[in-house]
Amino acid sequence: MPTLRDLQRDFVAAVFDAAGERFPGEVRHGRFGGARLFQVYRNNVFLSLTGALAAVYPVVRRLVGEGFFDYLADSFIRAHRPGSGNLHDFGVELAEFLAGFPACAPHPYLADVARLEWAYHRVFHAAAPAFDLAALGAVPPERYGALRFDLSPAARLIASDYPLLAIWRANQPGADDTTVDLGAGGERLLVFRRALEVEFKLLDPGEYALLDALRDGATLEQASERALEAAADFDLARCLQQQVALGALTNAI
Amino acid sequence: MSAVAPSGARRPGPIPACAGIGLRASHYRELLADRPPLGWLEVHSENYFGDGPPLHYLEALRARYPVSLHGVGLSLGSTDPLDRRHLRNLKALIARVEPGLVSEHLSWSSVGGTYLNDLLPLPYTEEALALFVARVGEAQDFLGRELLIENPSSYLQYRHSTIPEAEFLAEIARASGCGLLLDVNNVYVSATNHGFDAGRYLHAIPVAAVKEIHLAGFSVNRYTDGDILIDTHSTRVAPQVWALYRAAVQRLGRLPTLIEWDTDIPALAVLLDEMRRADAILNEPCHADVA
Repeated sequence: MPTLRDLQRDFVAAVFDAAGERFPGEVRHGRFGGARLFQVYRNNVFLSLTGALAAVYPVVRRLVGEGFFDYLADSFIRAHRPGSGNLHDFGVELAEFLAGFPACAPHPYLADVARLEWAYHRVFHAAAPAFDLAALGAVPPERYGALRFDLSPAARLIASDYPLLAIWRANQPGADDTTVDLGAGGERLLVFRRALEVEFKLLDPGEYALLDALRDGATLEQASERALEAAADFDLARCLQQQVALGALTNAI
Repeated sequence: MSAVAPSGARRPGPIPACAGIGLRASHYRELLADRPPLGWLEVHSENYFGDGPPLHYLEALRARYPVSLHGVGLSLGSTDPLDRRHLRNLKALIARVEPGLVSEHLSWSSVGGTYLNDLLPLPYTEEALALFVARVGEAQDFLGRELLIENPSSYLQYRHSTIPEAEFLAEIARASGCGLLLDVNNVYVSATNHGFDAGRYLHAIPVAAVKEIHLAGFSVNRYTDGDILIDTHSTRVAPQVWALYRAAVQRLGRLPTLIEWDTDIPALAVLLDEMRRADAILNEPCHADVA
């Protein structure tokens, strides 16, 4: 008699069996043989995980088509088995996976679309702490340069060589039939939440450079230097005010 | 029917012994706007581990209805250590929502850190029993409250199982002090798939331990040489399951009863219609005992 641990290991290995034929020897043949009974579980696992990916990546799915998405999901699930009992944690690696998936090589924008959809998913479920303006008011102006801000858990940055927002919008349910010019140029986006809705804001190079630097732990002084390198006319006060109002930033440390 | 009216800042109390429905995102706004009379709501705990709009809607609805938490990801039957992060998330959600009941499954879903996100069957052996009892105890101690454990639907059995499922559940409840959640659809699905007597199963379930009942619809995988019932929660409750539910209520008395519907989710009105059918059975005279 196997230990429970051996049985569980064997069960998981059999679910992922490439040929789809293996099943644990302890499965009792009932009205049907063990292979068919075990196949019910294999199907359930792949169906539920494919469904979870489809829920997070509806635009990727629409772009590649349902049939191809199922094939893609099958390969992804085998390469990146879920590591959490919370299904919302599953699928973070899809963008990277798409970038290396040979069949998707002619469509390099897909990985960026996946990155945008993952950002949307995380922003949707994240806490959105309020920015404490009173605490900032207590800081003497000569210390502003040394302040550090963080990107809110409910805000994410995306930079792409493709017109991501146009691609995303054209593939929403009920969107008009439009053609997106993939050569229209790149974008820098802030994905954030306003009340209960996830929204996008196009960022100019200075704004993106500032937020990107703050996210990486730079002080306000270092971050504004980088913003000025990216855009000579960068206006720090205006940008900070706007980003705090959008809820993109959390408090100074 | 015990419709719940909001009364000031006080949240509605425990889960009443009437029918409720599973809360789905597509019904948030309609429920908040129309406030239909319904006994209580149940949610999948993991869907509210985040702190975004879903939790906002749940808290708004919690002000009006009793809520229970039903977990699908704790993997209580696994031989891996219990996931402390998952338990902490659940504990935080319990503190925030103040649920009337908290439940999980007699199943496992992970080993070696890989999660299959399905409710996988355990062999019913002394080893699995000892492990499951210990894990339920550990989870209850960590959460500081009683868990209900639900009987699974299953599609396979193991050669080396020695304990009938209903007795396995009874022993878990006795040894760990947990309650039980009797899913009548699961009893029917498993009984049909494995050829056991659902009525006898009901009679082996310890009456005092059962605190909640689930009802749902199944689908059928058809083969040339027979069918396998699949617990999809995607349709109305089947007539045979309503009949088994009536038998369960006659034996167990009035209990909170949930209409579960998780895929191909219909209009809210359909869920409420199923809920009223369950209430009608709960309100039939001559139930065994109501303490």
